[in-house]
Amino acid sequence: MSGLPELIFFGIDWVAFSIPFIEFYALYIVISLSLNLEFGYTGIPNFGKVLFIAGGAAFGGAVAGRLAAYILGVGGNEDFITFNARIITQVNADLVNDPVLAIELVVIALLVAALVGGLLGFLASYPALRLREDYLGMLLLGVAQFFNVVLRTYTPLIGGSQPIFVPDPYYYWSTLGSGVRDLIAMIVMVVFAIAVYVFLEKVVRSPMGRTLRAIRDNEDASAALGKDNAKMRQNVLIVASAIAAMAGALYSFQVGSVEYDTWTRFAWTFWPFLIVIIGGVGNNSGILVGAFFFTLVLRGLEQVQPYLQPYIFFNVNWLQDLLLASLLIIMLYLRPEGIIREKSSHTLNKGVLGKITGSKGGGKGDEAPGEGRLSRISRRLASLFQRRNVQTPTDQAEASKKTG
Amino acid sequence: MVPEYLISALVYASLFAMMAMGLTLTYMTTKVPNFAYGSFVTLGIYSSYTAVKVYGSNPYIGGALGFVVGALVSALMYLGILRPLARRGSSLVSLMIATFGVDIGFIGVFGVYTDYLQYNLGHIDSPQFYALPDFSLWGYSGVTFAAPLSVVAIVLGIYLLFTRTKFGVAMRAAVENPPLARVLGINVDMVTTVSWMLAGGFAGYAGALLTLQLPAGTATGSNLIVEIFSSSVLGGLTSIFGAAVRGLIIGGSEILVTLGLGLGFGTPGAVVIGVVFLFGGILLIRSKRLRSKVVGIIFAGFGVWIVADMVAGFPVDFMSYELVNGFGPNVTPFQQAIPLLIMVVTLMVIPQGIFSINFRRLLGRERK
Repeated sequence: MSGLPELIFFGIDWVAFSIPFIEFYALYIVISLSLNLEFGYTGIPNFGKVLFIAGGAAFGGAVAGRLAAYILGVGGNEDFITFNARIITQVNADLVNDPVLAIELVVIALLVAALVGGLLGFLASYPALRLREDYLGMLLLGVAQFFNVVLRTYTPLIGGSQPIFVPDPYYYWSTLGSGVRDLIAMIVMVVFAIAVYVFLEKVVRSPMGRTLRAIRDNEDASAALGKDNAKMRQNVLIVASAIAAMAGALYSFQVGSVEYDTWTRFAWTFWPFLIVIIGGVGNNSGILVGAFFFTLVLRGLEQVQPYLQPYIFFNVNWLQDLLLASLLIIMLYLRPEGIIREKSSHTLNKGVLGKITGSKGGGKGDEAPGEGRLSRISRRLASLFQRRNVQTPTDQAEASKKTG
Repeated sequence: MVPEYLISALVYASLFAMMAMGLTLTYMTTKVPNFAYGSFVTLGIYSSYTAVKVYGSNPYIGGALGFVVGALVSALMYLGILRPLARRGSSLVSLMIATFGVDIGFIGVFGVYTDYLQYNLGHIDSPQFYALPDFSLWGYSGVTFAAPLSVVAIVLGIYLLFTRTKFGVAMRAAVENPPLARVLGINVDMVTTVSWMLAGGFAGYAGALLTLQLPAGTATGSNLIVEIFSSSVLGGLTSIFGAAVRGLIIGGSEILVTLGLGLGFGTPGAVVIGVVFLFGGILLIRSKRLRSKVVGIIFAGFGVWIVADMVAGFPVDFMSYELVNGFGPNVTPFQQAIPLLIMVVTLMVIPQGIFSINFRRLLGRERK
């Protein structure tokens, strides 16, 4: 029954350091990616991000606990909220012998969270389609703030100011030694983050991703090309909110409880925005970099804290807020596009392009010697346009060259 | 003797009117909703706390201090952060995110300051404190008179400024059409800075007065942002007097509706009435005639109020809420539902604010 090994360099246990680090990193990757889909790619500034995450965590956690207690027959007629600690302790003890149920619980909670998140996203899409950015920002911020009040004061859901515990599906692993449970929770989170990254990267590389950018950059143009802007925006909000809600539910399993005071607009709306701004607006790989940098700053501060505290009269935690706020302003001023700029959209691969242009790398007779693939494509496109009597910009340029 | 809840409604309403006017001023001049505006209220709260508890002086001197501190910090925020960003060509959303960031910065600042008060000066109640002592006049607390009178003074002052002084006219010009105002030789930057100063000052002053009525803390101002936005949006973000009126309505309705309606109808009756009004209102809004549309809005709003009152009937943990959020026992937490719902309804139905409704046409005096 031994826990994880210790790996100590420079006075820091790297195993104990990196598990929460990676957990946090993966969590914020997921949330920031979903925000990036809304804000970076589609141009919906979702200032109520915390609403969707907290909604997923609250409903997922509340349903998982009740369901587990019901299936395992724990608690009987006792009030779930009042006797929460006792019921969940018993549930956890029973779950050790029932790994299938543990997995089912996670899956069901994720589904519930996705449903709740999707529903909230659907509701949020109603104003998002109709309001300007500034009004929308105020509205979503207000709704999210109010939701926090609801969580705090409406006791039947997650106990209000008395937080409730969530059944621990990883409880079996905690019997194997210290740290093993956290390792498993971390792996689940990382797998989820990778899945979300792959999915969103597929989405933004698809024609739909290009449509989203078109909607962001020029609404009228995309509408003129026959795209349903409203429907697209709605879908984006639903999908992104469902993802964020699932991240919230996973987080509540990881910490083992749902509390209203976790869900502040600072940690769950501001931080994701900060990550998107640092990493790169409209760039998923930038989010990975931004989230890493952000996690490093935050966890690094935590490591330094004990050494710094004796010299400072106030709680070192406040430095974190000041530092992050200044970081945001500096980033906005110096490099608003983020560490990694938005790339132009991904096009077809070389083989397919070759087929379209009718050449497979070799010469086909109709190209000038030394001509690159791109210029060949543009020339072919130009000849296509000419056949239809359409003036291309290059035509105009050439015409003006001739006359001038 | 006037009932207690009427007094708290009056004070609450006056405070919101001041805050809403400030936010509207900044929105009019810069076109950016200031998410950090709630923190300026907190600045006023701690100015008052410092004046009373640390220096043992009068809370109304704290109010003046709150005005000055709020004005200075607000000007600093505009000149130091928003103006450079705007000159750099930042988008509206970037500026909104920046004000959000400033709000986070304020959390850190208040944290450091309250820690200083706690550990260095021994004021252990500084992160959360009860209402400060106030003088009383004819059996009522001083703030009962001070808050409404201040609103009247501010509205009158702004009216005179806008209509009787050269600077005020320049301000209006700068709001209406900045490039044209610049051509005419108006210093638009100066005008904007002054309106930011006034806005921060109003928030700080309102915050200082708030400490006389309610318990307050580091998060109080930040949590009020829903009501402040709602008041401003409802007034129409472009009308400063609209903001004052709506601030009064929002503040008053929050307390009167949640308390009054519940006493009058009893819960089941209230639900039925509320739902009937809500649906009737929605049906009317859908009709083509403008007059029935507006009647519908009023009906729906009334229905929403009553339903919100039902919401307020949920089991409520008064004590913890009071301690955490800094509201008094007269204020139920769910009352925030009312400004929020009002905000949603307004944004959806009359996005330009109530002052945009053509009341003449409503009354039938003017034909299409």
